[in-house]
Amino acid sequence: MTSEAASPRHRAGAGRAPGSKRSAGAGRRAVPFWSSLSAAGRFGFLAVGITAALLPFVWMLRTAVGPPQNALRLSANPIPSSVGFGAFENAWQAGDLGPALLTGIGVSLAVLALQLLTGIPAAYAFAWVPFRGRGLLFGVVLATLLVPPQVTAVPNYVTISALGFADTRVGLVLPFMTQAAAIFLLRQYMSTIPVSVLEAARMDGLGTLRTLRTVVVPLSMPAIATVSVFSFLLSFNEYLWPLLVARSPDIATPPLALAGLATRTSAFPDFTQLAAGSLIISLPTLVVFVVAQRRLTAGITGTGLAA
Amino acid sequence: MAQGTRAGRDGWRAVALLTPAFVGLCVFVIGPAIVSAFVAGTDKNLTGPDFHWVGTANLREALADPDLGQAVRNTLVYCLLTVIPSVLFGLLLALAAERVTRGRAAVRFALFLPASANIVAMAVVFQYIFDSSPDGLANTLVGFVGIDPVNWLGDRATALPVVALVGGWRLTSFVFVVYLAGLTAIPRSVYEAADVDGVRGLARLRHVTLPLLAPTTVFLGVFVTVLTLQTFETVAVLTEGGPLDSSTTIIYYIYKVGFTGSFRIGYASMIALLLLVAVVLVGAAGALLGRRVRMARQLGGMGAEDPVAEGGRS
Repeated sequence: MTSEAASPRHRAGAGRAPGSKRSAGAGRRAVPFWSSLSAAGRFGFLAVGITAALLPFVWMLRTAVGPPQNALRLSANPIPSSVGFGAFENAWQAGDLGPALLTGIGVSLAVLALQLLTGIPAAYAFAWVPFRGRGLLFGVVLATLLVPPQVTAVPNYVTISALGFADTRVGLVLPFMTQAAAIFLLRQYMSTIPVSVLEAARMDGLGTLRTLRTVVVPLSMPAIATVSVFSFLLSFNEYLWPLLVARSPDIATPPLALAGLATRTSAFPDFTQLAAGSLIISLPTLVVFVVAQRRLTAGITGTGLAA
Repeated sequence: MAQGTRAGRDGWRAVALLTPAFVGLCVFVIGPAIVSAFVAGTDKNLTGPDFHWVGTANLREALADPDLGQAVRNTLVYCLLTVIPSVLFGLLLALAAERVTRGRAAVRFALFLPASANIVAMAVVFQYIFDSSPDGLANTLVGFVGIDPVNWLGDRATALPVVALVGGWRLTSFVFVVYLAGLTAIPRSVYEAADVDGVRGLARLRHVTLPLLAPTTVFLGVFVTVLTLQTFETVAVLTEGGPLDSSTTIIYYIYKVGFTGSFRIGYASMIALLLLVAVVLVGAAGALLGRRVRMARQLGGMGAEDPVAEGGRS
């Protein structure tokens, strides 16, 4: 845009803008000051933020590799008096973390598959198939996001028991088969697909399913990646539902196994072991997040939530 | 004629496409929500099969329940301590991190960590960071500024703020992720245009960046509030609601009433129903606000390519 055309409209904010056209000279002087101040401030703020974000992880690592600690014998010395990795093996065995990790990953992937299978067609319908009551139905989907999990827990427990899935991995998966947030994000992204592309698919005689598979899904990959990451994180970290359903220890999910480790051992839990266990069960989601980092922002960007 | 058949075909397509999702939603979310609204009017107990319709007895009990009152106050305090700081810090961190060029990936990775961490694992770690012993990390740190050891999780005054700190620590990272995506989506050309107009620094932040982030802010405000109202894990692992219920949030109280002690699921459902109403109100307010923001934007603009004018107006 030309600044000529812009200036009358932009006058409302001009008084507060140091570099507006009329005070160009003042603006020029102000810029180096602001930018050097804000650069310093930005750097300091980032440093504080990163320290705060990392501190608990660093402390977890420091505790895990250090000598044994419990509530009666703590050490705040950042440098442990001795270093060893026995706690990891210890936690791995005492908490049965191996099977728990397998259960957690398996359950989370199954939930993810179901959410994509139910969510992608629904999102496509909400984005591109005109039908009566579409807005209302979409509102109903969004409203389900507001229902606290504690409300649905007991009826779901009854349903899952009636289906014979209590205390099974299937029982851990089924209640999460549809995720309204996934439908919402996918729909937002799919609505940005150009009409011409879908028209072309129809001209080529592609049916709904083929259009979905060969056109819509490939074009929606960034959103699908974002949804997948969030879905995996949520399922893997889910605590309440496994707490109710997974009664036998052999299908404990990682958070459950860790909580068990924390309460089972003794009145004075071994913090070294707990820290090691915490690190172990945090790894899968950390890996997923790191690998997906770039795609994540791309996916959120396209959903219309941002800018 | 084409109209009718086309609409009919679309209708069937919609049914086919939506059925899988709605089976899941109806069986596991909507149905249970309705059932639980019914259970809320009974004296159903998880330990026995018998139950009776008690009408509004649960509602009257809830309104007069001092423990619930305490839980509501705790939840409000918790929200106040987490939602606003996490949205603010998350935004500032995103603004600061966006301009980082060297070590960009490392900075982002560090700030993404809390959001991706396992909350139970983190709660366990925070538990011994905030241990009551003078040798705990938190007590050692406050010791440097001459404060006597604090029984963080065992003191009525500090238990809830510490739980909120852990929740806020994690939320900030989530807010950061979403804002960073929002900032990435602002086209460079917008900043160049602002630069031509001499709008830089704080003025640019105020009149260009923040208005363009408004939809993200509205989304985050609502989503983070709803997430916060549903906080469970941190309380369950860190304090179990104690000491003396000083850190019991509404969700934890529901768990305590319905799933422990006397297993009064009827009464728990009534409290959950009241919470649901409150959450729906928050959500509706957010949706309205979101619509207003979008409308203000469309009105402001023919000026999609004139963010400065738009910013000046809002």
